[in-house]
Amino acid sequence: MAQVKYVSASRVYAKDAPPAVSALDLDIKDGEFMVLVGPSGSGKTTALRMLAGLEPLDGGRVEIGDRDVTFVPPKDRDIAMVFQNYALYPQKTVAENMGFALKMAGVHKDERARRVREAARLLDLDDQLLTRKPKALSGGQRQRVAMGRAIVREPKVFLMDEPLSNLDAKLRVQTRSQIAELQRRLGITTVYVTHDQVEAMTMGHRVAVLAGGLLQQVDTPRHLYDNPVNQFVAGFIGSPAMNLQTVPLTEGGARIAGTTLPLPAAVRTAASQAGLRELVLGIRPEHLHVANGSGELTGPGNLAGSRALAGEVLLVEELGADALLHVRLAESGDSVVARTEGRVSLAPGQKVTFHVRPEDVFAFHPETGARLAG
Amino acid sequence: MTVLEGVAPPEVEVRPRGVSRRDRWQRRLPLLPALIYTIVVTQIPFVVTLWYSFQSYFWNTPAPAHFNGVSNYKTVFTNAAFRSALVRSVGMTATAVIVAMILGVAFAVLLDRKFLGRGVVRTLIITPFLVMPAAAALVWAGPMLDPNFGLLNYLLEPFGVHHVAWLSTHALGSVIVVMIWQWTPFMTLIILAGLQSQPPDTLEAAKVDGAGALATFRELTLPHLRPYIELGVLLGSIYLVNVFDAVRLMTNGGPGTATTNLPFYLFQQVNNAFDIGGAAATGVVTVILTIIVATFALRMFARVFQFEEGGV
Amino acid sequence: MTATAVPARPVKDREPGPQKLREMSRQVGWGVLAWVVGIAFFLPVLWMVLTAFKPESAAQTWPPRFAFSPTLAEFRLVFSGWGPFVTHSVIATVGSTVLVLLLGVPASYALSVHPVKNWRDGLFFFISTKMLPIVAAIGPLYVIALKAHLLDSIWLLIILYTAMNLPLAIWMIRSFMLEVPRELLEAARLDGAGRIREISGVILPIISPGLVSTALICVIFAWNELFLALNLTVTNAATMPMFLISSVPQEGLYLAHLSAAATVASIPVILVGWIAQRSLVRGLSMGAIK
Repeated sequence: MAQVKYVSASRVYAKDAPPAVSALDLDIKDGEFMVLVGPSGSGKTTALRMLAGLEPLDGGRVEIGDRDVTFVPPKDRDIAMVFQNYALYPQKTVAENMGFALKMAGVHKDERARRVREAARLLDLDDQLLTRKPKALSGGQRQRVAMGRAIVREPKVFLMDEPLSNLDAKLRVQTRSQIAELQRRLGITTVYVTHDQVEAMTMGHRVAVLAGGLLQQVDTPRHLYDNPVNQFVAGFIGSPAMNLQTVPLTEGGARIAGTTLPLPAAVRTAASQAGLRELVLGIRPEHLHVANGSGELTGPGNLAGSRALAGEVLLVEELGADALLHVRLAESGDSVVARTEGRVSLAPGQKVTFHVRPEDVFAFHPETGARLAG
Repeated sequence: MTVLEGVAPPEVEVRPRGVSRRDRWQRRLPLLPALIYTIVVTQIPFVVTLWYSFQSYFWNTPAPAHFNGVSNYKTVFTNAAFRSALVRSVGMTATAVIVAMILGVAFAVLLDRKFLGRGVVRTLIITPFLVMPAAAALVWAGPMLDPNFGLLNYLLEPFGVHHVAWLSTHALGSVIVVMIWQWTPFMTLIILAGLQSQPPDTLEAAKVDGAGALATFRELTLPHLRPYIELGVLLGSIYLVNVFDAVRLMTNGGPGTATTNLPFYLFQQVNNAFDIGGAAATGVVTVILTIIVATFALRMFARVFQFEEGGV
Repeated sequence: MTATAVPARPVKDREPGPQKLREMSRQVGWGVLAWVVGIAFFLPVLWMVLTAFKPESAAQTWPPRFAFSPTLAEFRLVFSGWGPFVTHSVIATVGSTVLVLLLGVPASYALSVHPVKNWRDGLFFFISTKMLPIVAAIGPLYVIALKAHLLDSIWLLIILYTAMNLPLAIWMIRSFMLEVPRELLEAARLDGAGRIREISGVILPIISPGLVSTALICVIFAWNELFLALNLTVTNAATMPMFLISSVPQEGLYLAHLSAAATVASIPVILVGWIAQRSLVRGLSMGAIK
C-alpha cells in the first residue's frame, strides 16, 4: 500500500501533436480509491498506463510510495492491473491465470494455490471454475478472474482500466458496488479509469476529471458536483447534465427567458474585468423548480429571492417517481431540462414557469469555460 | 488473422419439409464443372494405375501387357530398394520439416519486432521460396557447392574446411539443406501470422505480472503458436514428401541411392526400368500409405482448420 | 482541494534517460541481427544473380570472385534460346490459371455462400486429390497421354496444371467468399438479384483482390512445375524448367550460363511473390490463415 504521485507527467505521441497527457500533477493518498474520468481521448487511459509502466513518460515523473518509478519496468513496480478486455491468458486455466504472477515471482506451488483459492473465495468464484479456460467462462466470470489475478498479488497499487465497460448494464451496477466494497476491505490504493461519470461518482473517494490531456479538477464527488471549476466539469458531472446557456449580460445580471437573473457582485466584477458582454450560465435540472401555469410552486422548499423563468413544455420524460421536463425558454428559444419533484401533470405545449435561486446559478467565461468568481 | 475460427457452425438451416429438388440441383450445378473435371483428370489415371499394377508391362520389350496377379505387389514389398527409398523419404521429410520449423520460428520472432528496413528483410527471407525449385537445385549444385569453385567452400575455409565435394560425401545432407532453404520461408510466414495474431493486451498483462521476455515466450507465445506450428508441419510435410526437383538435379538420386526418395524412385522405375507395371504397383502402395498417414493427419486437420460454414 | 485547469504548457524536451538509450541500442542490435540473417539467407540468390553476369571464366575461379567485369553474354545466350520454352510456359501458366478461376469460382460458391448439402465431403474430396502424390501415377499418365495423342502437347500441361491447382484455388476462393458480409448478400437477394447477379454483382467485386492472390499462387506453382513437364513433354510443349535443365550439358561446367538461365527462369515468380507476399501465406495454408 502506498501513495501515488504524478509530478508534471507528460506523454506526447507525435512531435507536433498536442500531448496525450499534459503536465499532470496528481497526488493519490495511500489507500485511496481515485477515479480518473473523462471522455474518450482525454488521456485518462494513457495516464494509467504511464503509472503501469506500459507507456513511457516524455516529461515529469511518477512516484509510487516514495520511489521514483519513471524508469522502472512494470514488473518491478509492485502493481497489478485489470485490463478493459481482461487480457486473460487464453491457454491457461483460471487458476493458472490467477497464479501466473506468483509463479513468475517464484512463489511455491502450494502457497500459490492457497492464495488463488483465497482470492477466488473473495470474488465468489466457484472452485470448479478454477480448472476451466477463459473461453468457457461468461463475461462476468472473466471479469472476476481478471480482478482475482490482480488481488492475488497483494500489490501496492491496483490499476483498473474501465473494467466494467464490457458487462451488461445490470451486471455493471452489481459489480460496481462489489469492487468498491472490495477496495474498502483490502485498503489497497486504487487508480480506476472510466468514461462513465456515474461510476466515478459512486465509487471514488476522489475523482479526477480529465479532458484533452489536461487535469480539469480533482475533488470528492460531492465537491465536484457542487463546485465545478469550469464549464467542462460542470457539464460532465451529473446526470442529466447541467443546463448551460449563453446569455447576454445586462445591468445587474444576466438576461434569460424573459427575466433578469441577478448575479453576485464578484461575478459581475470578474465579467467586466474580462470585458465580457455575455457569459454561460449553468443551472442544474433540479434547481429549476417548476411552478404550473398559475404560478403555484409544485414542490416544497423556500424559494425566497428566486426569479421566474418562462417557457413552454416540449417533452415530458416520465421516470415514475419524478419526471424530466424538456422546456423551450421564452425569448431565446433554447431548451433546458428540469427535474420535477414528484409527479406533475404537464403536457407538451403547456406554458410553465421555473423558479431559480440566484445562488444556484453558476457563471462561466464563454470562451475559456473557467468559472467566474468560483 | 485467425486460424481457429471458433465459429460454431450455426444450426443447419431448417429447410421446409420437401426441399425443392430444383433448389438442390441449383446448388449442385456450380460445383459440377470443377467436380467432374477433377474426378476425370485425377481418378482416371488412378484407375488406370490400378489396372496396370496387376499387369506385367514393360516398355522396353515387345511383349504386350499381360495379367500377372499380385506379383508386382509382392515385388514392391520384398524390394529392398523400395523400402530404403521409403525410409529415406520419411527421414528427409522429417528432418527438413523440423529444422525448417525451428528456423521459421526464429525468423518469425526476428521479424515480429520493428526495426529499420523490416519489410526489406522480410522480402529477403521469403525469396528462397520463390526461386524455381529446379533453379535452386542447379544453383546450389553448381555455384554454391562445387568442390573447386563453389561459394560455400570459400565461406567455410576459415573454419578449416577445404574443397569438400558436398554432393559426393554429404549428398543427403546437401539435398536436405536445399529443402530446408526453400521451405523455411513458408514456415516463417505462417508463424509470423501466428505471432501477429497474439492479442497485445495479454502480452502487456504478462509484463505487469512480472514475466520477462523468455518467460513470456515460453508460457504464452508458444502455446498460442501451437496450432500454427501444427499447420506448418502438416502442410510442409505434404509438400516436402513430394520433393523431386532437388533430388533429380543435384544428385540424380545418388551417389548410388543415397538420396533416392519415393518420388525419385518411382521416376526411375518408369524412366530407367521402363517397368510400367511395377511402377503402377509402387504407386498404388504409395497412395495407400499416404491415405493411412493422411487419415491421422486429417484428425489434426479438422482441428486446425475448423470447417467454416457458409450459407445464405 | 481543487485544481484549476491551466492552458497547455509546452512539454520540455528532456535528455533521453538511461532506459531510453538502452532501449534504442537494443532495437539497433536487433535490427543488425535481422539484417545479417536476412542477407545470409538471401546469399545464394544473390550469388546466382551475380554469377549470371560473369563471363564463364570468371565464374570458375578460386577463390570465387565478387568483383569482376560484368557481361551480358550469358544472358544473350539464354535469351536466344528461350523462345519456345518461355512461350510454352506462359501459355500453360496463363491457360491453366484462367481455367482454374473459371471452374473454381462457381465451385467455391457452391461450397460456401450457397452450399450443397454435402459441402464438407466436397471440400474433403478436393483436398484429398492434393494429398496423393502425382508421381504415383506418372507411368499410366504417360500411357494415357500417349493414347490420347496428348503427349508433348501444351494442352496436356494446361489440363494437368489446372487439376493440380484447382483444390488450392477452391480453398482460397472459398475462404474469401466466406468473408463477404452476409447482410450484403441478403440485401441483394431482397433487391431481387438472382444467383448469377449475386455472384457477378456483389461477390466478385468484393473478392477481386482475393482472386488476384489466388491467381498469383496458381501462376507460381504452374510456372515452377518440373515433374510433369519433364516426363510428359519433349519439344513441343517444353517449359522453362526444361529449358533450365537443358542449359546444364552433361559434359563440362557452365556455372555462369546456368546461373543466367536460373535467374531468367526465376525472375517472374520472384517478382510476383514480392508483390503478393500476403497472398502467399493465405494460398499456401489453403485459406486457413487470413
